[in-house]
Amino acid sequence: MTTTPRPEAQRPAIGHLSRRALLKGTVATASGGALMNWGSLFNSASAAEGVQKQQKRCILLWMNGGVSQFETFDMKPGRPTGGQFRPVSTNLPGIQVCELLPKISQNMDKLAVIRSMRTSQVDHPGGIHLMHTGYSTAANIRFPEIGAVVSKYLGRERSDLPNFIKIFSHGNSGAGFLGPKYLPFSLSPEGRLPTFSTSNRNSELESRRNGLRNFVEDVFAREHKAETARMHREAYEAARRLQNVHQVFNIDDEWEKNRDLYGDSAFGRRCLLARRLIEEGVPFVEVGQSSYDSHADNFVWHRSLLPPMEHAWVGLMTDLEQRGLLKNTLIVWMGEIGRTPRINNRSGRDHYVRSWSTALAGCGVKGGLVYGASDKDGIDVKDNAVTEGDFFATIYQALGIDPKTEHFTGVRPIPIAPFGSEVVKDILA
Amino acid sequence: MNRSVLFPCVALLVVCGFPLVVHGEELRDSIDHQLAAAWKANGIEPAKPSSDGEFLRRVHLDLLGTIPTHDEAVAFLDDTRADKRKLLIDRLLNDPRFAEHQGEVWDMVLFGRNPPGYGTDKRDEFQAWLRDQFAKNTPYDQWVKAILRAEGNTIDNGAPMYFVQYRNEPEEATQAVTQTFLGVQLQCARCHDHPFEPWTQLDFYGTAAFFARLRVVDIGKKNKLTMYAIGERNTGDVLFTGPTAEQVVGKKGEPVKPKFLQGEPLVEPELSADFKEDRNFPNGKVPPSPKFSRKNQLADWIARPGNPYFARAVANRIWAQFMGRGIVHPVDNMSRSNTPSHPELLDQLARNMVDHKFDLKWYIRELVNSRAYQLSGSGPVEAAMPQWFEQARTRPLSAEELLDAWKVAIGWDGIEKSSGKKASEDRYSPLGSGYLVQFLGRPNNGVGDFQGGLHEHLFLNNGGIGSLLSQSKGGLHHSLLNSKAPWTERVDQLYLAMLSRRPVKDEQERFVEFLSAEENSSGRLQEAIWVLMTCSEFRFNH
Amino acid sequence: MPDLKPTNAKQVWKLQFEGAWPTSVAFLGPRRVVAGNRDGEMFVWDLPDQSSVKPAEDKAASKTKSAAKGKQDEGENIAPVRRLDGHTNGISRLVSTEDGKLLVSASQDHTVRIWESAAPPSGKADVVLDRASREKETKQLPQDKRQAFIDAPGVSVATQDAAAVLKGHDDWVNALGISRNGQRLISGDARSKVVVWDLPARKEVANWVGHAWNGIVAAGLAPDGQTALVSEFTYKRDDFDIPAPALKVWNVADATEKLDILKVHIPKLDAKASTYGAASVWRSFIKGGLIATDYSPDGTLVAVGQGGETDTGKVHLFDVKTGKLVRTVSGHQYGVCDVKFSVDGKYVLSSGRDTVLRICQVSDGKEVAALGKARGGQFKDWLSGIAISPDQSMIAAADIAGYVHVWQLQG
Repeated sequence: MTTTPRPEAQRPAIGHLSRRALLKGTVATASGGALMNWGSLFNSASAAEGVQKQQKRCILLWMNGGVSQFETFDMKPGRPTGGQFRPVSTNLPGIQVCELLPKISQNMDKLAVIRSMRTSQVDHPGGIHLMHTGYSTAANIRFPEIGAVVSKYLGRERSDLPNFIKIFSHGNSGAGFLGPKYLPFSLSPEGRLPTFSTSNRNSELESRRNGLRNFVEDVFAREHKAETARMHREAYEAARRLQNVHQVFNIDDEWEKNRDLYGDSAFGRRCLLARRLIEEGVPFVEVGQSSYDSHADNFVWHRSLLPPMEHAWVGLMTDLEQRGLLKNTLIVWMGEIGRTPRINNRSGRDHYVRSWSTALAGCGVKGGLVYGASDKDGIDVKDNAVTEGDFFATIYQALGIDPKTEHFTGVRPIPIAPFGSEVVKDILA
Repeated sequence: MNRSVLFPCVALLVVCGFPLVVHGEELRDSIDHQLAAAWKANGIEPAKPSSDGEFLRRVHLDLLGTIPTHDEAVAFLDDTRADKRKLLIDRLLNDPRFAEHQGEVWDMVLFGRNPPGYGTDKRDEFQAWLRDQFAKNTPYDQWVKAILRAEGNTIDNGAPMYFVQYRNEPEEATQAVTQTFLGVQLQCARCHDHPFEPWTQLDFYGTAAFFARLRVVDIGKKNKLTMYAIGERNTGDVLFTGPTAEQVVGKKGEPVKPKFLQGEPLVEPELSADFKEDRNFPNGKVPPSPKFSRKNQLADWIARPGNPYFARAVANRIWAQFMGRGIVHPVDNMSRSNTPSHPELLDQLARNMVDHKFDLKWYIRELVNSRAYQLSGSGPVEAAMPQWFEQARTRPLSAEELLDAWKVAIGWDGIEKSSGKKASEDRYSPLGSGYLVQFLGRPNNGVGDFQGGLHEHLFLNNGGIGSLLSQSKGGLHHSLLNSKAPWTERVDQLYLAMLSRRPVKDEQERFVEFLSAEENSSGRLQEAIWVLMTCSEFRFNH
Repeated sequence: MPDLKPTNAKQVWKLQFEGAWPTSVAFLGPRRVVAGNRDGEMFVWDLPDQSSVKPAEDKAASKTKSAAKGKQDEGENIAPVRRLDGHTNGISRLVSTEDGKLLVSASQDHTVRIWESAAPPSGKADVVLDRASREKETKQLPQDKRQAFIDAPGVSVATQDAAAVLKGHDDWVNALGISRNGQRLISGDARSKVVVWDLPARKEVANWVGHAWNGIVAAGLAPDGQTALVSEFTYKRDDFDIPAPALKVWNVADATEKLDILKVHIPKLDAKASTYGAASVWRSFIKGGLIATDYSPDGTLVAVGQGGETDTGKVHLFDVKTGKLVRTVSGHQYGVCDVKFSVDGKYVLSSGRDTVLRICQVSDGKEVAALGKARGGQFKDWLSGIAISPDQSMIAAADIAGYVHVWQLQG
C-alpha cells in the first residue's frame, strides 16, 4: 500500500479540489503551489479508501504522567526495586501481575503485554509528543498525533461527529502537518461538551448568517494563504456540523445499567462514552487518566489510580467483545514514560524509558501474550526491545494502515512510523 | 533509502559570508538589506508591500493592541502625504495606549496566564508600574534591574511582585529568570548536566544560590491588599546532591556557592564569626537589607551591557513580537542546537540595542519602519510565521486585543456613554475574563503557534459575544440602522469601522443585498456585524 | 510522672536499622523500643539506663564504624534484642499499651498483629542491620575481602511470633489507634474499612466503611474507647475525580457518625462531590490528606497532621466535642508523617518530611523545640514515625535513612 512520493512541484494543489474528487483519484490540473506542512492527501487517498472498508477503530487509554511498570505488568517481587505491592497470578499459567489489577489478571488472555519497551524521551512534554506521534519533536516539523493519522485513514468524510475525539485530552501535537481537518475534538474530563456547544438560533437564521460568513471568508482566502486562517475556517465548519449530534455524547441513559461493568468512576464513564463513540463510527477515541507522575508517594498514588482504571478497562473490553466490536477495535494502553526501578527518598519513582511496559488488545492482536522481558531488577531490557517506532508500526499494522506510507512536509517524506522501525509480528495474529 | 538526503530542506541553508552591515546606515535599512540578501541567497521572492489599509490595521494592533476607529481609518486612507506611514508610527508610539499594550504584552511574558499564586493573579500595581516604564521609555536594562532587585514593596513599588510568584522556590526562579531575560533554558540542568548544551547542574544551582536567601515577607495591608517585600537573608544555601537520579536516602546535600552562568563564582565578603541571624523575618515589618546582597549582584550582572545573553535575548524577543518568528526561534531557547536564521543580523540587533542603551521605543520604531515589516500578508506562503520574513506573518490576536478591537469596531465607548452609566473598571468588560481567556486566551507573546479548534467557534457562534452585538444608542448597529444614507455608504462605514478598509466591489454588492432584503434590517445588521467580528480577517493580524 | 521537658533534648541513641525504610516506632515501657520497616521487619531494642554505657567491642551492634557511630551528639548504636516475625509487607503503624505489655502492629500485608512483651522467644537468628553501610565501606577494602565483609555475621537476636493475628481487612492497613485504657483498638484500611477491636478479647466489636474510593489514612480512639476519630482520603486518583476527604467522630458502640469535623470547618464541603472544583474547597485545609492523628490524654482535643507532599504540612488541633478548630500549629516542609500528644497533654509532637521532629505547646501553639536536622537536597528524608516513653523522658523517631533516633529530655 505504499504510495509513490513525488516531488512537490509535480503534485496538484488540493485547495480547490473537492475531497470527493481526491478519493476517486481524479487529478486536476496542477497549479504547482507550494504545499508546506499540509501533508499529502493526494498520495495517500487511495490508501485511505482501502483501509476504510475494514471499519477498524482504535481506543487509546492514556495514562498521563507515566504509569509504573513495577506496579502493573512487570513486578519484581523480593527485589530492592520491587516496591510495596505483591503479585497475583493470572489466567495465564506462570504469568503474574500486580495485586492492584485483579480484574485484568483474569483477562490476560485478551492482552498482549509488552515488557520490553525502550523509548527515547524521558521527560513529559517530549514523552507525550513521542508516544502520541511516534516521533521526537523537531524544530521545523509538526508531527501529527496517532489520532490524526488514524482519522485520516479510517475516518469518514464530512461526518457530523469529529473523527478524532479525546476525552480528557493530553498532548497538544494535534493534527500537526496533516492540517486542521484532523484536529482532535476534546471533551472535558467528565465527557461533557464544551460550553457554548449548542446553538440557539433557528436553522433558517443560522444558515442565512452562515452564507454571508462563507462569502467573507472566501474573499479573504483569495489572497491570504496562511494556514492559520485556513484552520480557523475549517474549525468553524466542524463547529456547525457538530450541532446535529449532541445526543451521542450524553451517556446518562446508558450509564445506570453499565455502572457496575465499567466501575463507578469518572474514568469508567469516559470508557463507556468511548465505546459509544466507536459504535457510532468514530475511528479514534483517546481516553485520558491523569496523575501518574508519582515522583513522590508512588505507591499510594497507584493504589488510588489503578483500581478504577483497571475496572473500566476490563469493562470496556467486555462490552466491546459482547457487541462484536473487539475484533475490529484496537485498545492501546500506555503512558508517555515508565518509572525508575529505584525508589527515591520521597517514596516515589522518577522517569524511566530504558525498560518499561505497554499493552495492546483487540483488532488482530494476539491475546494471552507477554512479549519481551526486563532483567531481574527491571533496569534494562533483557529480551526483544521494542522502540517507540516499532510500537507505532505495530499499532498501524494492526489497524490495517501500512506504517511505511509516507506523508510530505514540503519535499521531505515522512513515513507514518519512523524510518527503520519494524512491526513486532509476534504480537499480531 | 532516506529521501531527505535527495531533497534537503531549504530551511537549513543559512546566510553567511560577505559583510552585510553598512556603517552609518539606519537599522531599519540594514534590516531590509540583510533580509534581502537572504532572499537572494535562497531564491525567495518577497511579497509586495502592504496596502495602506493592511498596514494601518497591523501597526495599530502591534503598537496599541487595538484597531483604529472608523474616523482614524478614513483619515489615514485619504491622507496623501508620502511619509504618512512614518508619521502614523510616530503618533502611535506617543499614544498612551502604546505603553498600556506593551505593558500587557510584557506582563504576560513575566507572569503568564496562570501565575503560581500567592496573590500574583491580582497585580494591578505591578502592571501599572510596568506600563509606566513604557510610558517613560525607561531603558530595558534599567527596568529589568528594578524587577530583579525587587526593592520596596508590591503595592507602592509594584516591581517586587515578580519574585512573589517564586516564593520559596529558588529553582523555579532560576528557570524563569534565565529563560525570560537571558533566553536560555536551564531546566534540564536541574536534574542532570545538559546532554547537548554547555549547562551543568552547577550552572543551575550556582544561579539558584543567588535566589536561595530570598524571602517573601508580608509587611502589612494597604487598600485591602497584602503588601509584600522581598527580604534577603545573610545566610542559607542551596543544597546540591548530584544528579537527581542518584539521590539516595540519607545523603546530605552540599551547599553550592553562587556562580554567574558560564562565568566566575561570586566573590562574597565573609560574615564575622560571631554573626548570628534572627530566625525569620517577622510579618508586618520591612525586612532589613542584608549585609551583602547576592540578588543585587545577579541583577547587575544580568542587565549589564556586556552580558553575552541579555541584549540578544531582548532584541530577538521583540523582533519576534513584530516580525513573527524570532531570528532564533523559539525566542527563549537560544542554544547551540537552535541556530539563528540570520546570525549577522541578530548580532547587529544586539549590538545596536546596547549602543542605543536599551531604548525599546527606538528599536520598535526601527522595526515597524522597515520595509520587511510593511510587506503584505497576502501571497502564496502558507506558514503563519514565514521562515525568511518574506511575507508578513499571520498572528492570532490575543484575547485582550480581540476584545479591545471588537469594542472599537462596534462602538462600545459610545454605547457606554449613551447609557449614562459609569464605564466599567473591569478590563474585560463586558465579556468578563473567564470565558474570554478560556476560549481565546492564548497569550500573544509573538511566537505562539495558532492551532484553531472547534471551541472558539462554538463560543463565538453560540452566544459568547452576545453582549457586544448590542443595538443600543451610541453603537455601530444603532448608527447604521438609523442612518438615512444609502446602503452602499453604510456598507463602506461598516467595513471601515470593523476592518479598517473600504469594501471591494463584490463585498459591497453582497452586503447591500443582504442588508436591504427586508424592511426591518435590524436582525440582518446584527448578523453582518457578527460575521465581520468572527471572520478570519478580524481574528488575525496579517 | 514528671513533666515533659522539651528543651535541652540530647540525642542519646542512634539505632541502626538499614534495609527498607523504618516506618514506625513505639515504646514498650520506659526503656524498650520497637520499630518496624517497609518490608515488614520489626526489631526490639532494650536501652541501657546510662547512655554512657559502651557496648563491648565483641558485642558491637554493627560491623561498620562510620555510619554507626556518627558524631558524638548523634548518639550511639546498640544491637536489637529481638526480631518480631510474621508480617510479610510493610508496617504502617505501631501502638502499645501504657503498661508496656502489649504491642500492636498494622501492616500492608492486610493484618493487624498483637505481640506480648513478656512472650518467650521462638528461636534465634543472625541479623544484619547495617548492610547498606557495609556495602559503602567495602569500597575501601581490597577486592578479595569485599564479599566476605558484606557476608560477615551480624548480631544474634531472639525471634518472636505474634500472640494473635487479627484478620478483617482485605487491603493495606494504614491506620491504627489504641484507647489509653488499653481496651480498644481501631484499624483502618485502604478500602475505607474501619474495624474496632476489643483488645483483651482480640475480637472485632464494630466495623463500618467510608467512601468507596477513599482509604482510611488515620484513626484514633478516645481514652475510654467509646468514640473514634477517622480520617478518610485518597491521593490524586485523577485530577478531576477526587472524592471529598472526611474527618469524622464516630460512636463505636453502634458504628454511627457523631460529628463531621470538616463540615464544621468547611460548611461548603460536599461529601459526594468528586471534582477538581470541589477539591479546591478543601484542599488548603487538608493538603495531601490528614494522615496522622492522636487524641489528647484527657480526650478533649484531637491533633491531625497534613501529610502527603505539600508545601508546609501543619497540625490542626480540634475540640472533639464541637469540632471547632482550636489552633493550627507546627509546620513541616513537604508534610507531616506522624503526630503525638505528650503524656501530660501539654505538648504536641510532630515529625515530617523535613527530617525534623517539632514540639509545640498546646496552650499557645508556640514551637519550643525542633529535633533533627534537614538532610538531603531539594527534598529531605522523612522522620516517618514518633513515640514518647511513658515516663516522658525519651522521644524516639523512625528515620527512613535507616535509623531510630532516641533523644533524652533533660531537666
